[in-house]
Amino acid sequence: MTKDNSGWHPPMLALLAWRNLWRNRLRTSIMVCAMVFGLVGVVVMIGFMTGMYANMIDNAVAWQTSHLQVHNKDYLLDPAINSRIRAPEPVLAKLSEIPEVQGVSARFVVQGMLASPRASRGIRINGVDPAAEARVTPIADNITQGGWLEAGGRHPIVISEKTASRLKLRLGSKVVLTFSNADKAVSGAAFRVAGLYRSPSSTFDEANAYVRRADLTALAGLDGVHEIAIRLTKSDSLDNSRAKALARRLSSVLAPQDRVRDWQEIQPMLATIIAQMDTSNAVILLIFISALGLGIANIMLMAVFERTREFGVLMAIGMVKRKILGLILLESLLLGLTGALLGLLLSVMVITLLGETGIPLGSMADGLGAFGVSTTLYPQVALAQYLLTLAMVVVVSLLAALYPARQIIKQRPVDAMAQKH
Amino acid sequence: MTIAIQALTKIYNPESDFPVAAVKSLDLTIAQGEFVAIMGPSGSGKTTLLNMIGGIDSPTSGAVLIDGEDITRLSEQALIAFRRDHVGFIFQDYSLLPVLTALENVEFVMQLQGHSEAECRERAMALLTQVGLTDQKDKIPAKLSGGQQQRVAVARALAPRPRFVMADEPTANLDAKSTAELLDIMQSLNEQEGTTFIFSTHDPRVIARAKRVIVFEDGRLVEDRRQ
Repeated sequence: MTKDNSGWHPPMLALLAWRNLWRNRLRTSIMVCAMVFGLVGVVVMIGFMTGMYANMIDNAVAWQTSHLQVHNKDYLLDPAINSRIRAPEPVLAKLSEIPEVQGVSARFVVQGMLASPRASRGIRINGVDPAAEARVTPIADNITQGGWLEAGGRHPIVISEKTASRLKLRLGSKVVLTFSNADKAVSGAAFRVAGLYRSPSSTFDEANAYVRRADLTALAGLDGVHEIAIRLTKSDSLDNSRAKALARRLSSVLAPQDRVRDWQEIQPMLATIIAQMDTSNAVILLIFISALGLGIANIMLMAVFERTREFGVLMAIGMVKRKILGLILLESLLLGLTGALLGLLLSVMVITLLGETGIPLGSMADGLGAFGVSTTLYPQVALAQYLLTLAMVVVVSLLAALYPARQIIKQRPVDAMAQKH
Repeated sequence: MTIAIQALTKIYNPESDFPVAAVKSLDLTIAQGEFVAIMGPSGSGKTTLLNMIGGIDSPTSGAVLIDGEDITRLSEQALIAFRRDHVGFIFQDYSLLPVLTALENVEFVMQLQGHSEAECRERAMALLTQVGLTDQKDKIPAKLSGGQQQRVAVARALAPRPRFVMADEPTANLDAKSTAELLDIMQSLNEQEGTTFIFSTHDPRVIARAKRVIVFEDGRLVEDRRQ
């Protein structure tokens, strides 16, 4: 006598759900606005955090670690002047064949003392080939006074503004550089300040000075290099997979005593920062999504329970409970999607705008300089982050409607119809 | 189609100290094409009886046989399908879906049945023409008068081509003119399509038009007359 040929009617259900959603325009609008503002806040916060950490990492990679570095293993334990790379030539030859290598700087590095007539400081002296170094680090573009080492002259040295200020030096001042040479004897010479630089990291600035490699090797009475720094062409700040892949290729031409490390191995703190950033972003998102879920659950409880009689009528006239469940879930999903899509659209606009203008850090800049953060931040949000947020809103919208939906569909039609609300 | 009610009993709160017997061991037969009014005072059990015949409430004991099949033994799913395909419901408060237009409300149950869009549209338009609301088809219920809403409800009840239509006090909220119009429509549908109509009512205007009047009191049938 009876047949169950009830088809699934997505367009009919979707139409009904959408119109039901706007039955109480004020209530739905308030919820959608709350979602939009909440989402923009969360996305900007995540964008700010990601931008700050990515900036810190970009600066650290640009100025300090490069993407890869090669050292003698002994040098990593104790940076002594004799612990040079045994066979730099095969590495340099191999690197010259690889197109994704933007620059390679072979450095002769000594720990020494820089003395002015007024003061002295311990410092790391980087003996570099000026042109090669300029392709690996942004130092040549960050000379604030004077020029880079390429300018010439006898024994030029480039120091940071901070070191100049500490040692009371000016452009053209003479400084004396002393260090222990290969024979453990003190060696030294006078250098003239050819340029002052400023990096985003005040700690880096205090600790590094640059001279020409040939000047330093002549003083040390040693040839060779201690460090090969390798910079790759543009890559994702937070991803070290390309660096790792290149490290594997290089290891085949390395002498057993030499070792290649990627930037996360050189500064494990950077990997920790990335992990911590992911965690803090997840926590922010989770708090927002939980609050959103409770908000939607509240709206859906009201929207569903005030229509109990109507659902009873739907059951009476033959709507199966599966479809009633579908209708309620669809209403909640449409509410979540409306808020999420509007919120994410506005977020993309805000992030794009701030990505152009940047956020000036003002008085915070000095403090953050110690962590290598630039004075202007550019928030960034990955597409995956937007998609994850959207997916979480969808899931939480459905979860939020489950309880009210269950309360309705477990009723008999006659009981539901007996309810005034 | 024949509705045969056998020893039908409904007791609310049977386990409590104060059980209420709404319908007491009722036997009744309603044949195809009847136009039946069930009358009686409030609380006499009219609505409970209609709900059990329509399969939206279950009896404490007894049987409701529709063409020999006892609907009180159907599974929940089968009962929902039974109501959808074989019973038309008209409620006192119209109970149209407020977000759908008159036309969409009439199409709704047919869509639940799985009919094509064109079929739904064609039959819904034909029914709206029969109840005289073609020009109001795109209005939502809130934009229609009570009488118009109840006429849409009649069209909706008939849309799935039910075996019978249950109407619980359909004219309770209508004025005299609307009541007369509604009764004309229902009577002509009863005569033209042979659809069985079963009403519960207090309304003497409805009782006057019924072909059979069943008087119900305190859960029992006290009079069954044909007129």
